[in-house]
Amino acid sequence: MAASEEASRPFAGLSDVSISEDIPVEGDISVPVGPSRRDDEFSTLDEPVKDTIMRDLRAVGNKFIHVLYPKRSSALLRDWDLWGPLLLCVTLALLLQGGAADHEDQGGPQFAEVFVIVWFGSIIITLNSKLLGGTISFFQSLCVLGYCIMPLTVAMVVCRIVLLVSSGVIIFAVRLVVVTASFGWSTFASTAFLADSQPPNRKALVVYPVFLFYFVIAWMILTYSP
Amino acid sequence: MQRQDTQDAPLFGEEDENNQTKRSKMRHPLVSFFHLFFRTSAILVYLFCEILSGRFVVCMVTIILLLSCDFWTVKNVSGRLLVGLRWWNQVDENGTSHWVFESKKTDSKNTTSSAESRVFWLGLLVCPIFWILFVFSTVFSFNIKWLVVVILGLVLQWANLYGYVRCKVGGKSNLRNMAKNYLSVQILKRW
Repeated sequence: MAASEEASRPFAGLSDVSISEDIPVEGDISVPVGPSRRDDEFSTLDEPVKDTIMRDLRAVGNKFIHVLYPKRSSALLRDWDLWGPLLLCVTLALLLQGGAADHEDQGGPQFAEVFVIVWFGSIIITLNSKLLGGTISFFQSLCVLGYCIMPLTVAMVVCRIVLLVSSGVIIFAVRLVVVTASFGWSTFASTAFLADSQPPNRKALVVYPVFLFYFVIAWMILTYSP
Repeated sequence: MQRQDTQDAPLFGEEDENNQTKRSKMRHPLVSFFHLFFRTSAILVYLFCEILSGRFVVCMVTIILLLSCDFWTVKNVSGRLLVGLRWWNQVDENGTSHWVFESKKTDSKNTTSSAESRVFWLGLLVCPIFWILFVFSTVFSFNIKWLVVVILGLVLQWANLYGYVRCKVGGKSNLRNMAKNYLSVQILKRW
């Protein structure tokens, strides 16, 4: 207010132009959280550990259910977490073990290979979609891609069970059908979540790396032999 | 939102002592135990994997599980209960992600115990250094099969360390100012 008065003095001719004194200068320095959410968080600062565990487990389970019945839901993307992808990655890597004759020596590289493919592939796809102008954040995209590996993991379990029986041509056909179906399901589920965040003419550019990513994983599952 | 370290001046000697004994007692011994347990057992399993089990995959999975449990425990439980700090990430409708760091406002009722605070910061600061050493030893001895585990350990432990340091300091500009102030105090002390 003092500054505006001082500024108006050199401009004597404009003395009738002045900022009235009773314009309130006020505002809110707001944290990027809505106020109700903030109160909520402070009240959960002292919650018992069991509540925290149950809340996180429920969030993870919720996301698994969303992958089973994929529908466009932005609520799923809002709270990302990477526990599901980590669990699925470890399970998949364990199940893909033992592809070679010797368990002791060759366990390591295959395990690390699955990890590297899943995480490095997800990071590359995320970077791709961000460079194409997507409005999804880095961790959200990793979360979606990781959770959508679930159908392929289920297919791996089925393949391993089926391979215990025998390994003929019919069994191969069964495995092929199962793996193809789960691959299609994974791709469909992830594009249902990811495609919304892209401008309409870029959707194919975003979808094809996802297609490749799940194709590589499906290939690893299909070519697995005990 | 800065946590204030000053205490109200006690009117009587007894109140001061009462406060001090309250501060030095551990209120969450189980949480402190688990805070340290997961981190140190991950390091120990990594160091002694040859002796514990011949199979590489078993060691690897155990270390990964211990590291994830440790990350979750430190992020969601020990920081909250031992020192009253918390950090998380939120994404709004536009897809921009915000990292939120909060610290508990303290009044005289909720002072955090200094023993627990020491335990927390000790565990938080010492273990990530081990994982850096492991990364270097893996790279330089060309033991590439451990690289995935070691990098995962590094990322998870340093993420927690960074998050809590930022909570404690209260913001990026404060970190720079703090560093500047610290350096200037040190330089002035030399004179």
